[in-house]
Amino acid sequence: MFLNPWSLALSLCSLVVLVLGAVAAKTAVRVLRFWEPGSDSNRQIRLENEIWLSSTLVAYGLGFQIITLILFVLAADEFCQVIVGAMCATGALLANPYGMPALLVKLFGVFFYGFWILLHQLDIRSEHYPLVRIKYLALLLLLPMLVLDASLQTLYIAGIKPDIITSCCAVVFGESTGGGTNLITGYSQQGLLIAFIASIAVLMIVGGRLLQRWHAWLAGLYAAGWLWFFVLSLVVITTVISSYVYAMPYHKCPFCILKPEYHYFGFGLYGALIPAAFFGASVPLAGLVRGRGGLGGVVDRYQRLAVRLSLVLLVIFSGLSFYHYLKYLISGGEG
Amino acid sequence: MAQSNLEKQLNILDYALSSLWRHRLKSLSVLLVFAAVIFLLASFQMVTQALSDKAKQVLTHTPEITLQKMSAGRQEAIPLAYRDKLAGIFGIRRVVPRIWGYYFDEVRLANSTVMGMAVDEMPEGNRLDAALAKGAMPGPDEQGRVVVGHSITKALDLAGRTTFSLFRPDLSLKPFEVSGEFSRDTDILTNDLIVMNLADARDLFSIPAGLVTDLCVYVANPKEIDTIAKKISETLPSVRVLTRPQIQKTYQVVFGWRSGFGSICLLSALAAFVILAWDKASGLSPEERREIAILKVLGWETSDILAVRFWESVIVSGLACLVGMTAAYIHVVYCAAALFRPVLMGWSVLRPDLHLLPRMAVGDILLIFAFTVIPYLAATVIPAWRSATVPADSALGG
Repeated sequence: MFLNPWSLALSLCSLVVLVLGAVAAKTAVRVLRFWEPGSDSNRQIRLENEIWLSSTLVAYGLGFQIITLILFVLAADEFCQVIVGAMCATGALLANPYGMPALLVKLFGVFFYGFWILLHQLDIRSEHYPLVRIKYLALLLLLPMLVLDASLQTLYIAGIKPDIITSCCAVVFGESTGGGTNLITGYSQQGLLIAFIASIAVLMIVGGRLLQRWHAWLAGLYAAGWLWFFVLSLVVITTVISSYVYAMPYHKCPFCILKPEYHYFGFGLYGALIPAAFFGASVPLAGLVRGRGGLGGVVDRYQRLAVRLSLVLLVIFSGLSFYHYLKYLISGGEG
Repeated sequence: MAQSNLEKQLNILDYALSSLWRHRLKSLSVLLVFAAVIFLLASFQMVTQALSDKAKQVLTHTPEITLQKMSAGRQEAIPLAYRDKLAGIFGIRRVVPRIWGYYFDEVRLANSTVMGMAVDEMPEGNRLDAALAKGAMPGPDEQGRVVVGHSITKALDLAGRTTFSLFRPDLSLKPFEVSGEFSRDTDILTNDLIVMNLADARDLFSIPAGLVTDLCVYVANPKEIDTIAKKISETLPSVRVLTRPQIQKTYQVVFGWRSGFGSICLLSALAAFVILAWDKASGLSPEERREIAILKVLGWETSDILAVRFWESVIVSGLACLVGMTAAYIHVVYCAAALFRPVLMGWSVLRPDLHLLPRMAVGDILLIFAFTVIPYLAATVIPAWRSATVPADSALGG
């Protein structure tokens, strides 16, 4: 179903990002082949100029990818109106096998582009550009991801036929179904909530310890904790938090909270969670390049900033996620 | 550190604003063309959305299932006796017969819609009076009384009288008396409508007794619509069963398709604009080269100049979005989308005055943004980098 403004906008954005990525990759190949830090040849000066171009292009690409991520979910929500049986974005995304993979690739893609920009920001803090080769190798590795993203999205849009029957979110995420959604239905709500609260507490404690005294292993633990917490949060948002937002016990959907009916609550929730997980996971990643020429101080400062930022965002995220739950309990509901 | 960084960005923003002002003719031309492109795309999007909203709103009052008899692929009159065959299906609240057709007025060359209904049998029939500006719906026994829409009153010039006549197929005249007029709020449905009772409609169209054009099935529980529709089509295989959700989805697909088609046509305008933006951004005058060289000598870095260019693009596209979307909103709401209405609606001649009210959610704004601003930003980034890497010595050397 390409003849639809949402499909067209998504395809157009993907095309733009692919073009930007290709131009950046051209620079990457030249840098990997000809980079000589000590030289003052014409080519080296040109290359030093070109790395500005490629980093700007990736930064633009990241911004565009974040917009397409939101656009993709909203488009799925729009598509559900023409797919028989789909009542919200969940049904539309499950309408063919490419919907969910496309969404996941987009979501994790945002992390990878973010990591690249972090590498670049660390790199330009030093006069010697010590990370140039690693950075451009990583850029070349990002390219297949962009292609995968665009192809999955195109396959998804091409596969949408307005007459196939899909399940609506009330069925897919409801308790009665098993099969493909085992991860989401396998645990009890109480157990999930306890794990969620415990993870928040552990992350707070580890983060606090890290700020007092820095240990490399603790930083690794912190990042691993964030990755675990990110996945857990997505599950908890789907199975527990969302139904409190909708005030409907059987409506469990991670996408409808993005809609105006629920005051765009989801944007706040994901807007706190995704950057928090990014900063948390990037702490040891930055530590990996500490040994490179002259980066020690910069990396230290970044790591402390990242831990602080992730803790602040964690507080905001927990506040937002418990807001509807507590409101329900205080107004007389049973837990 | 964060404080000084913010201050730096604010200063760069300040510089970008003054730079735009210095080249105001160039900036204004790009801004106007950009706003025009956004205006076209946004109007299209808003009209589509308002129309599909309107369709949805209209369809909520239609019966859940409509039955039409098909013969040789065409619709024909359906026997009233079919009602008895549906009696055994649970969940059906009521089956109401209806005659509806078009009456072509050869004098005024206009088509009007004639609907014969058994108002007293419809589940919410008594509420139809609420849709009237004056008068009352004709009762089942009141022969020859009709309720008409606004443009019928106008076309038949009924201002001072309440009677008029229509021709039967054999050209004999059938007299009618107006017993009420629909209010203008329901114009999209009732503008060209003449409502009468079933017997009058049958008489006007000379439809044999025991036949109607379609049967409306009212279903008590909306979740059972599909099941009941399936059962009906099993009981009456020669009948076309139309369900309300099906019609709704079809409208969505058609409007989405038309809007997508329109967007593809407008893509060429967008492409032309992107080329213009690229061209405007790459043609650096000697003064601009000098300016960048001086900034570099003063200690600006490449990234700072890139930031200036980025802010310039953001300001231009932000302003263009604001102007373009506001203009589109005015176009759709106050001018009833005069430019695009023929493309998105049908091509009938008697057409109600439409009052379209698009609702702009964040998603729709983001869609227009993705369609226009992203290509623009992408088109200006490489020229921006080219201008940012002008070597200081070569520009000042001359």
